Amino acid sequence: MDSFLAPNDYKSPLKPIWCPGCGDYGVLQALYRALSAVGRPPHEIAFISGIGCSSRIPGYTTAYGFNSVHGRALPIAQGVKLANPDLLVVVAGGDGDGFSIGGGHVPHAIRRNVDLTYLVMDNQVYGLTKGQLSPTSPRGLKTVTSPMGSLEQPINPLLTVLAYGAGFVAQATPADMPGMTTLIEEALRYPGFSFVNIQSPCVTFGEEEQQLRAHKARMKPLSSLGHDPANQLAALDLARAYGTELYTGVFYRNPDPPPTYDALIRHRQAELQRGEPRPRARVLERYLQT
Amino acid sequence: MREDLVVGLAGSGGDGVVSAGESLLGAASSQGFYALMTKSFGSQIRGGESSCRVRLSTRKVLNPGGVLDVAVALNWEDFRRFGAELPVGPDTVLIHEAKAGPPPEDLTPPGQRPRETLAVPLAELAKTAAGTDRAKTSVVLGLISGWFGVPLEALDRGLQKKFSQKGEGLLEANRKALAAGLAHATQRPLATPRSLARPQAPSSKLLCDGNEMCASAAIFSGCQFFGGYPITPSTEVMQILSRELPRHGGVVLQAEDEISGVGASVGASFAGKKAMTATSGPGMSLKTEILGLASIAELPLVLLNVQRGGPSTGLPTKPEQADLLQAAFSAHGDVLRPVLAPTSVEDTFRLTVEAFNLAEKYQTPVVILSDQEIAQRKETVDPIDVSRFEVLERLRPTAEELARGYQRFADTPSGVSPLSHPGMKGGNYLAAGIEHDAKGAPTASGAVHAAMNAKRFRKLDPLQSRDDFFERQGDPDAPLALVSWGSSAGVAREAFGLARARGMRVKLLVPFLLYPVAEPVYREFFASVRRGLVLELSHQGQLYRVLRMYLDVPRDVTSFARSGAQPFRADEVLERLQGLAEAS
Repeated sequence: MDSFLAPNDYKSPLKPIWCPGCGDYGVLQALYRALSAVGRPPHEIAFISGIGCSSRIPGYTTAYGFNSVHGRALPIAQGVKLANPDLLVVVAGGDGDGFSIGGGHVPHAIRRNVDLTYLVMDNQVYGLTKGQLSPTSPRGLKTVTSPMGSLEQPINPLLTVLAYGAGFVAQATPADMPGMTTLIEEALRYPGFSFVNIQSPCVTFGEEEQQLRAHKARMKPLSSLGHDPANQLAALDLARAYGTELYTGVFYRNPDPPPTYDALIRHRQAELQRGEPRPRARVLERYLQT
Repeated sequence: MREDLVVGLAGSGGDGVVSAGESLLGAASSQGFYALMTKSFGSQIRGGESSCRVRLSTRKVLNPGGVLDVAVALNWEDFRRFGAELPVGPDTVLIHEAKAGPPPEDLTPPGQRPRETLAVPLAELAKTAAGTDRAKTSVVLGLISGWFGVPLEALDRGLQKKFSQKGEGLLEANRKALAAGLAHATQRPLATPRSLARPQAPSSKLLCDGNEMCASAAIFSGCQFFGGYPITPSTEVMQILSRELPRHGGVVLQAEDEISGVGASVGASFAGKKAMTATSGPGMSLKTEILGLASIAELPLVLLNVQRGGPSTGLPTKPEQADLLQAAFSAHGDVLRPVLAPTSVEDTFRLTVEAFNLAEKYQTPVVILSDQEIAQRKETVDPIDVSRFEVLERLRPTAEELARGYQRFADTPSGVSPLSHPGMKGGNYLAAGIEHDAKGAPTASGAVHAAMNAKRFRKLDPLQSRDDFFERQGDPDAPLALVSWGSSAGVAREAFGLARARGMRVKLLVPFLLYPVAEPVYREFFASVRRGLVLELSHQGQLYRVLRMYLDVPRDVTSFARSGAQPFRADEVLERLQGLAEAS
C-alpha cells in the first residue's frame, strides 16, 4: 500500500500551455487535491481526453494519460474501464468535445453507467481554434463564425445529462476552489457515471460575464437554496437555469446507486467461467462434424 | 463417375432453398465429402429472392464452382435475379417447378441449351406425399439423391439434424417428401447419367463459415475485448463473441456507433488487453480517424473488414474486393498499416492469428480484409491442429526498465519500444494522437516528428521478408503468371491447376499480406514473367494498381477485374491464360 500521496505527487513536470489566467489552471489544481484526497496511486489512474485546450489536462498529471482524438474520449474511456475495472478512470474535455463532436457518445456512456468521472470544462467558446461558436455559446453571441450574433439556442449540459439518467451531476467554478475540489472528489468517489460541469473561463475569447470576477459575484451554492441532491425532479428544475443562473454544487446524487456496467460484466464473467473451464485451444471443436 | 458436383438452387424467401442447401451440405460433410455452400439474397429482411449453391467433391473444394452442374429453379423470376451468380450452360441439368412453365429462352448464352431440362411438379409431389407443399425442397433433395447419387441415408441424416428439434411431424413430412423425390428420379432416369463418386476415406471435418472461423481464431489468440456495431456481412463475429468471449474472461461492447466501437477497442488495448473490432466498408470509413490514432499511439488493434459491394451502401449482401485501397491508404499523414487477406474459410484461422500476432508484435492496427463470400460461405475444413500456431504477446517493459526512467516511445533499433499499461507502476506515460517525443510528451518539432515517423515505419520492415505470407505454385521459371487474392484466389487456384493439366508453363502467386507491398517477393516472382493476369473482383483492379505503385510490373501482366457479385469462373480464367500462352 502506498503511503500518503500529496497533491504534488499527481503533478507532472510538463508545463501547461494554457493562456495566463485560464480557468483550467484552477481545475488542474483542484484535481490534484481531489486525487490526493481519494488517494489512488497515479499508475492506477487512467485519464482520458479528446481534443481542445482543456483536453491537454491528462499530460499535466502523473497518471496514465490518453490525449486522443476530438470527441472520442468517452468511448476510449469505456474501453479502458471495461478492460480493467480496477482502474480509476477519469475523462476530461471541453464543451465542444463533449457536446458537439462527441455529443452522440454522452447518452450511451450514461445509460450503460460505466464507472467514470467526466469533467467538462465549459467555456462557451472554441478556444484552441481561436474563438468560434460552441454548442454552449449563448444565443446572440458574436464570434468569428457568428459575426452578426448566434441564431442558435445553446445545449444545456446539466439538463441533458440529468435527462439521460446520470447518477451524479454537479457544477463548479474555479471562482470557488474549495467547492470545486470537494465536488471533483465526490464525483471521483461516486460509484457509477459522474459528471461535473465546470464553468472554466476562457480569458482570451470569453465574454466579460464569464470571467472569474463575474463568477464570484454571480455564483449561488445550491446548498444555500436548500436543495436536496437526492431530489431528481428538483435537480431538473434547477438545471433549467443554465445560462442565466450560476448554481454550484451537487444537482443530483442518486442516493441508491445502481450496479455499474463494469461490475455487472465482472459478475457475468464469473458466473460463466464457473464449472467446466474452456481451453482456448479447443475453440474449434463445436464445428466438428461427427 | 464425377468427382465434383455444383448445385444451385433459387426461389423466393421462405421457400426453404437455403435450408435445403444446408441439409445437402450437412449430409455431404458427414459422409466425408468436401463441400462448400454460398448463400445469396436480395437485401430484403424477409421474402425477396433467395439462393444458394453447394459444391460437393471428393477433393478439397477451392471455390463455389463456375457453371452449375445442377440448377434448381422454384420459379423463374427469382432464379433470373441471380444472373451470373447462378450461371447455366450446356452441361447443366436444369430442374424446375413444372407449373412455372418452360425456362426462358435467354437463360443460357445464345446458341446453347442446357444438357437436360426436367420439369418436375415439386409442389404437387410434396403435397401428395407430405400433405404440404412447404416440403418441396425435400422433394428436390430426393431428386438430387436419385439422379446424382448423393447417398439417401446421408440426406436423411441431414433432415434429422435440421428438423429433430422442430417436432416429429415436420421431420416425418420431410422424410416422405424426400422419398417421393427419390421415387420420381428413379422412375425417370437422366438421359446422360452422372453420378458423384464416393469419398475415398471418410474423415471428420469442421464445418463453418469465415466469420465463425475468424471469431474462433480471435478467442484462440487471446482476444479479451471486442467493440463493434452491427453491419452486414460482419455482424456474426460480434454475435459469436458476445456469446463466447465472456466465458473466456473477455468483454464485448455493442457500441452506439462504428466510431465508438473502435474507440473502445483502442481504449482496451491501451489498458493492456488484446482487442478487436469488425466492420464492413461504410463502418471502415467511420473508423478511419481512430485507426490513425492507434498508429501514432502505437497500440495493437485487429480490425476485420468483411468487404461487400460499394461505394456507400452499395451491394450490402454481395461480395466485392474493392476495399483494398481503403484498407491500405485511408489515413491522413504517413501511415503504414498491415493488411492481411484470407482466401478461404480454412486460412481465415491462420490469418486471424497472424493479425493478432502482427498487431501485438509491432504495436499497430492490422486489417483483416475478408469478403462476403468467405465470411458467410460454409466450408468443410480438415481439422486444424491449433498447437502449431504460436500466439505472440506485446513487448512489455521489464521491472528494471520501469525502475530506471522508462520511456514509452524509446527509439530502439527495431522501432518497437516496450509498451506499459495502466496498473503497471513506473510505466506511467501519456498516449496521444499528437506527435510526441520518446517519453510521450507532446511536441511540434519537425525533427522529432521525422524520427518518430521513421521509427513507426522501420518497425514494419520485417514484413518485407515474410515469405510465409505468400503462396507460390508452379514452375519458378514460367513466363506466364497468375496472381490473385481473397476469395478470387480460390478460382485462381483451380484455373492454375487446369492450366498445368493442359501443359501450360504457368505459375501462381497468392499474397496473404497485401500491404505493405513486399517488393522483394514480387520482384523475384515477376523476374521470369512475360505475361500474366492479376485476378480480383473490383472495377478498378485494386491490387494490380497497388502493385504498379511499388513495382515495375511486366508490361504484359494485366488486370483481369470486374465489379462484385459476378464471381469469376475457373474456365474463363483458363481461357484467358490460354490466350496469353498462345500469344507468346
